[in-house]
Amino acid sequence: MSYLAIDGLSAAYGRQPVLTDVTLGVEKGEVVSLIGPSGSGKSTLLRVLVGLLAPAAGSVAIGGEQVDYRDRRSLRAARDRFAIVFQQYNLFQNMTALRNVTIAPTIVKKRTQTEVEAEARALLVKVGLGEKFTSYPDELSGGQQQRVAIARALALRPDILLLDEITSALDPELVNEVLDTIRLLAQDGMTMIIVSHEMAFVREVASKVVFMDQGRIIETGPPARIFDAPETPRLKEFTAKILRHR
Amino acid sequence: MNYTFQYGQVVQYIPYLLGGAWLSLQLAAISFVAGAAIGLVNATALSFGPRPARIAVRAYVTFFLNTPLLVQIFFIFFVLPEAGILLEPYTACAIGMSLNAGAYLTEIERAGFQSLRRSELDAAQSLGFNLRQTVWYVILPHIVKALYPPLSNQFIIQVMTTSIAAIFAVEELTGRTYNVNAITFRSLEIFSVAAVIYVLLTLIVSTALALVGRRVFRVKAKVF
Repeated sequence: MSYLAIDGLSAAYGRQPVLTDVTLGVEKGEVVSLIGPSGSGKSTLLRVLVGLLAPAAGSVAIGGEQVDYRDRRSLRAARDRFAIVFQQYNLFQNMTALRNVTIAPTIVKKRTQTEVEAEARALLVKVGLGEKFTSYPDELSGGQQQRVAIARALALRPDILLLDEITSALDPELVNEVLDTIRLLAQDGMTMIIVSHEMAFVREVASKVVFMDQGRIIETGPPARIFDAPETPRLKEFTAKILRHR
Repeated sequence: MNYTFQYGQVVQYIPYLLGGAWLSLQLAAISFVAGAAIGLVNATALSFGPRPARIAVRAYVTFFLNTPLLVQIFFIFFVLPEAGILLEPYTACAIGMSLNAGAYLTEIERAGFQSLRRSELDAAQSLGFNLRQTVWYVILPHIVKALYPPLSNQFIIQVMTTSIAAIFAVEELTGRTYNVNAITFRSLEIFSVAAVIYVLLTLIVSTALALVGRRVFRVKAKVF
């Protein structure tokens, strides 16, 4: 059984099904990338995993432990293990960069302020924001905000980091500074599920690529095979369009 | 108008009036803070609460927004003793003004909840915040910042409203002005002095609120 085992997962927004029978395994230290057209369910899958949308069917297990998304305690345990970084950074606007990073470990995990703060400073230095501890989100560029968001997620010491199109809202010249941070994390062995439209980056950093369309997984494989030798007609069509645009 | 102003007679009462102004400010502050707390609980219930809680809050707001404050305080002061609840005039006014402000502040704070970006709530939820932590650390600071001007206005209104307490013999600014008038019969002089004190009070409070807003909440508030 995989470290993260998703089995037959389905979810809906009201009556609109958005995920259908998704089965996926992620090993520890693996970097899995979800690709596919908009509305294919990639972001939704991450939202379900972190408990922002309740699944309608199926199961999720981490390290052999089943997650029951209707049970508050089980959900909290799951959120201890996942951390998500959003497309729009979703930083708390009323807090400094440092406070954004320290708040969850102190008030949710009840760790001591001094310990958390030292760790948060180190994390912000790691993502290249050693000068920006006291800056508020509206004083930072998009790329800087996104790196604060990554530090905030890492401060939770997650087992699995979920990245939801984290470069989509950034100016092109800011994309690389964020991708560099993710490369570092991948080198450190962080388990990650990345939703991304940066195909070159996916190819470079992912160990497994999952192609989704209309809420279903269509094809899964190593990046080279997915991009160079797609098997299903839908993925062929998708990769052909991407390559045409390069 | 053949009238000779005689401010000399009322000058000696100015310290007495200022004492009344201090009481007005206290009454405004107490009822504003209590009203803001009521508003926060209500806005939380309206945004996240179950249907019965939302209906109860709606009923409360409808009642207090559609009846005059004076009637509400009369009710508390004269009707509650029938049920064995006897309140001091000051307490009755403070409770009435708090409940009244609570209704207005519920509406203001609910608007604050609605203007909150969904993304910050998603972040709070995914980081494991419970509802109380979300309200306290994310929603409340947002409300204070986003709604600082209307909240400040409500506080100024609250200062003006304290004059109603004079009817219940609370010796706030208007009450004391009335007393001085009964002694000196220099109505024009004493009420004009009271009016000036009210204006000064409002200016001081507005300036203080704007400074606090700038320093503490990073609100781009104009001092004047």
